[in-house]
Amino acid sequence: MTGSAEPGIADGGPSAAARRGERRNVVAAVRAAVLVALLAVALSTPGFLSQPSMLSLLTTVSFIGCVAIGMTLITISGNIMSFSLGALTGATAMIFVLAVNWGGFACGLAAALVFAGLANALQGFLIGWLRANPIIVSIAALALIYGVAEAFAAHGTIYAAAGTSSGGFKGKIAGLPVEFVVLLAITAVAQFILSFTVFGRNLFLLGASFRAAETVGVRTWRAITGAYLWAGLFTAAAGIMLAIRYDAASMNYGVGYEYDAIAAVLVGGTVIKGGEGSAVRTLAGAIIIGIIQVVLVLQGLRSEWQYLIAGLIVLGVIALQTQGTRD
Amino acid sequence: MKLFSRDDPHMRPLLILAGCILGLALIDVREFVTMATAASTLETFATIGLVALGLGLTMMIREFDLSVVGMYSMAGCIAVVMGGDNAWLGLACALAAGLLGGLAQGFIIVRLRLGSVGVTLGGLLVFAGIAYVVTENRALPYDNMAVALYLSAPIGGVFSIRNLVAIAIFLAAAVVIGLTRYGRDIIATGSDRRAAMTAGVDVDGLIVGIFGFSGLCAALSGALLSYSLASASPSGLSDVIVPAAAAAILGGVSLAGGTGRPLGIAMGVLSLAVLRAGFNAIGAPPYVNEIAMGAILLIVAVLDGAYLARRLSWLRRAH
Repeated sequence: MTGSAEPGIADGGPSAAARRGERRNVVAAVRAAVLVALLAVALSTPGFLSQPSMLSLLTTVSFIGCVAIGMTLITISGNIMSFSLGALTGATAMIFVLAVNWGGFACGLAAALVFAGLANALQGFLIGWLRANPIIVSIAALALIYGVAEAFAAHGTIYAAAGTSSGGFKGKIAGLPVEFVVLLAITAVAQFILSFTVFGRNLFLLGASFRAAETVGVRTWRAITGAYLWAGLFTAAAGIMLAIRYDAASMNYGVGYEYDAIAAVLVGGTVIKGGEGSAVRTLAGAIIIGIIQVVLVLQGLRSEWQYLIAGLIVLGVIALQTQGTRD
Repeated sequence: MKLFSRDDPHMRPLLILAGCILGLALIDVREFVTMATAASTLETFATIGLVALGLGLTMMIREFDLSVVGMYSMAGCIAVVMGGDNAWLGLACALAAGLLGGLAQGFIIVRLRLGSVGVTLGGLLVFAGIAYVVTENRALPYDNMAVALYLSAPIGGVFSIRNLVAIAIFLAAAVVIGLTRYGRDIIATGSDRRAAMTAGVDVDGLIVGIFGFSGLCAALSGALLSYSLASASPSGLSDVIVPAAAAAILGGVSLAGGTGRPLGIAMGVLSLAVLRAGFNAIGAPPYVNEIAMGAILLIVAVLDGAYLARRLSWLRRAH
């Protein structure tokens, strides 16, 4: 028992830092054990590795994954979550279909990205510039988006006009569904922003301590508006891909996505308080939840158990995030 | 700006309520000022009021109970599943689930020193999951029509058992918080937790208790709504968080904690209920109400923004 490099032991008692380190080790061990167990169950489930099951897993993960990557930026910046990303997904899909029917694919793409980016950046501006509460602003945006969408499309579903079908986007690239390739690309972009740009570093600083960020001269409102802008763009990708997949759009498409997305963010290990996390982790979180759902279905459990088990996992993950500090 | 001054948060809900009533009366006084509008206002009050009360109380101690949405639909489903033969049994099961769920969340928050948004987000997903499991993911009818009719039968023109229950609980909460030391403890905890602790307030106990109360309120209104609609579905009731949060904030509860009172929250709920019933009465399509609610919530969020004064003075100087 020599040379155990336990730092910070002074006067007999372990320091707070050492205890936190210990805690972190426990959390890491629990996380690894759960992952190994999950993989073992998944691989021993008959049919899990079959191609249809894999393809459906990757496609389902893709839509929620894009929203979750956007949510990651919001969570890291210290603004917890946005409740309007699900509504934004549906609204973006509708705008996309309308614009494609009017002026072709490029027009649809541009309209969808501009709409989602602006709608979300506006919320980010109110939250960052005025320090309005992010939960309340996003709940208000949720009501506004649903209300306005209902006013314009009372009958629910909008269909793509004949001949505008974007067939090339329904295929596969290197054996992977296009949707999943898009998700990988978005993850890469988000991770690049977070790891290699000043803007990304500012987001971590903001999430760790708003006051510290302000003191060292970060233009806090710009960073927060930027985080929401990117979150809007990533969410737009989900809406666009849903519209392409179904050649239609309705506000039902994104219902509940905000909860699925935050679940993926938290299961991946991004901290709900902000200041810590990554896009790659969120991707892993989304895939883990996807695997659990596939396994539950293949094992013959009724689909509704997915919701309960996903909820229990999120609760467990949040409980493990405790680090003895609060507010 | 005087209207929304921070010095007198108790005036705001009254002014907003008066504004809503006046505005709607100006649009169409004959369609708006009727007994039917009053009755439908109180029905909406019963539907969102108790959820807003529980959520508002958690906001007053500077926490936020997101799980009310999940609790609301879970309690409705439990009541309908368990109360097939005996409505009281279903109600008791739903209330027990609400109380236990709320207390458990409060306990986790206090013991693990976790933020309430994260914990109640987990709670929301778990409660919603339980709702899906007990209903096997479908809408369930409640065959005991007598109970549905009994709950919604008009009393004295505008009241019903359902809205009388909500009103009674609001009054009880107002009395307890206004006249006992719990009210002061809540405000103290919400204003400055450390100071409250130093002054001898049992902050941890208070937090657990308030989350228990919030769970109970959400469960009660969810169960009563499912009974009166004679159906329950795991996904159907989830749009209650928007009006509940809006009502609490309109009612003078600040997200920064330490302000608000039950009667203020009641005013906030009444404002939204008057809006909904009024828009209905004057024949506006349903999305008008949704947009109005979102706009009001957004305006209040902006007016409550921590940097609003600073930015306004900056703008003034820039000119």
